[in-house]
Amino acid sequence: MNAPTQEESAQSLPAIAVRQVLKTFVGKHEVKALEAVDLSVAPREFVSILGPSGCGKSTLLRIVAGLTPYEGGEVRVQERLVKGPGPEIGVVFQSSNMLPWLTVAQNMRLGTQLRGLPADTIKPKLAALTETLGLKGFENHHPHQLSGGMRQRAAIGQILALDPQILLMDEPFGALDALTRDRLNVELLRIWQELRQTVLLVTHSIAEAVFLSDRVVVMSGRPGRIVKEISIDLPRPRRPEDIKSHPRYGEYIAELSRLMGVFNDEH
Amino acid sequence: MKRVLETVIFWGLLAALWEFGVGWLGIRRYLLPPLSAVLGAGWEARETLLAETWVTLLEVLAGFGLAVVGGVLLGVLIHLSPLARRTLYPLITALQSMPKIALAPLMIVWFGYGFASKLASTFLFAFFPVVVATLGGMANVPIHLDEHFKALGARPWDRFWRLQVPAALPAFVDGIKIAMPLAVIGAIVGEFIGAEQGLGHLMTLATANAQTDLMFAAILVITALAVFLYWGVERLAKAVWWRGISF
Repeated sequence: MNAPTQEESAQSLPAIAVRQVLKTFVGKHEVKALEAVDLSVAPREFVSILGPSGCGKSTLLRIVAGLTPYEGGEVRVQERLVKGPGPEIGVVFQSSNMLPWLTVAQNMRLGTQLRGLPADTIKPKLAALTETLGLKGFENHHPHQLSGGMRQRAAIGQILALDPQILLMDEPFGALDALTRDRLNVELLRIWQELRQTVLLVTHSIAEAVFLSDRVVVMSGRPGRIVKEISIDLPRPRRPEDIKSHPRYGEYIAELSRLMGVFNDEH
Repeated sequence: MKRVLETVIFWGLLAALWEFGVGWLGIRRYLLPPLSAVLGAGWEARETLLAETWVTLLEVLAGFGLAVVGGVLLGVLIHLSPLARRTLYPLITALQSMPKIALAPLMIVWFGYGFASKLASTFLFAFFPVVVATLGGMANVPIHLDEHFKALGARPWDRFWRLQVPAALPAFVDGIKIAMPLAVIGAIVGEFIGAEQGLGHLMTLATANAQTDLMFAAILVITALAVFLYWGVERLAKAVWWRGISF
C-alpha cells in the first residue's frame, strides 16, 4: 500500500465525503440511480469507480462535481457542502469539450479565464503543460485538426491549468482506442505522481482502474450502490511493464472481473 | 480553367438562345425583345439605370441591416424571455404568415413615397429568417459544453459570449443568406407599390411606356445586384468557418 496516502487519510479529513446519498431520476418511469451510497476519498488518493454502464457511477461523480442535485444524504468536498460546482474541483469529461472556434492554446486557457485566474501566473503554467502533454507545436491548431487522443490531452491540460486540488474524471479515455488509452494512462499517472491531486475516476475498464488507482470501488446498478472496495497494493511509481507482471496484478484483475460478472478482461 | 470555360459556354449558349430564339419563334418585340435590344436599351439608359441602382442598393442595404439587427435583437429577446416567447413570437409568426406584399401599400400610407417606406418593406420581407435563425442558433449549445461551462463556474455573461454566441453563428449566417435575397425583393416590391426612384420604379415606368427592352434591362440589373449582394453575404459568412464542424 502507498504509505503516505495511508498516513494522510488517517490524519486528515477526507477530501471527498459522500454519505448516504440518494438520487432518483423522475420521468415517465422513476429510476433509482443511487441508493444510500457512502464513499470517502482521502486527500491525494486516487480512487476509481468501476461498474457496468447505467450503474450510476457517472451520476455519483456528477453529484460530487456539483452538476447534479441529490435528494438524500450529504456530499462534502474539502468540508464544503456541495450545492454546485466549486473552484477546488476540475472535471474532465469523456467528450473533450474543446470549443471548435478556439485554438488549442485558447482552449487550454479558457478554463482559467472563466474562473477569473490571473493571466500572468497562468502563462508559464500553460507553457509547461503544453510541453508535458506533448502539445508543443500544436498550440495554434484547432481541435478538429487533432486526433482524439490529442484533443483529450488538451482537455486535461485545460483542467490542470486550473490547479484543482480535486480532479474528477468521467471516463476521460472512454472514447479513445486501446493503444491511445494505455499511453494516456501512463501519462496521467506520471503527471499525477508530480502533482498529487485527489482523483476520482469513473471507468468501465478494469485494467485502467487497477493500473491507476490506490483503491477501486465497484458499483452495481439499479439501484446504484457500492458492492465492494478493493485497495490496490501495487508499488508506485507504476510502469505498465512492471505492473502487468506483478503477481498481485492478476489477482486484482481476476477478482474485479468476477465482481463485474466478466471472466475475461479486455486485455 | 475548365470551370471558367464551362461557365462561359453555358451563359454564352443561354444568351444566344435568347438572342436568336425570339426571332426563330417569331415572338413579338414588345413581349420579349432579343438580348441585344435589351442590352442596347440598357446602355442608352445607363445613367438612369446607375442612379436608380444606387437608390435601390441603399434601400436594400439599409433594410437588410435593420432586419439583421432587429432580427437578432428579437431572437435574443424571445430566447431569453419566456414572456416574449409567449407574446412576441406568435405575433411575429402571424406577421410572417401574412402576405407581406399586402402590407406594402400600408407602408406607403404610413411612411410615404420615399426611402422610409422602402426601408420598412425591406425589413418586413427580410427580418423573419433572421429571427428564426437566431432562435435556432441560440438553442444550439450542445448539452455537454453547457455542463462543461457550468463545471468551470462560468458566469452567465461568459456563457453567452464565449459559448452561446459562437455556437449560434453558423445558424445565424444561414439565416442572413436567406434574408439577403428577400431584402432585394422587399425593396423592389416597395418601389412597385409607390415610389419616385429606384429600379422597381423604373420597371413600372418602362412597362407603362411599353418599353419592354428597358424593363428587361432593369430586371437584368436587379438580378445582377441580388447575385452580387448574395455573394457578398456568402463571403461574410465564410468568417464563421466552424460551420459544419461538430463539437
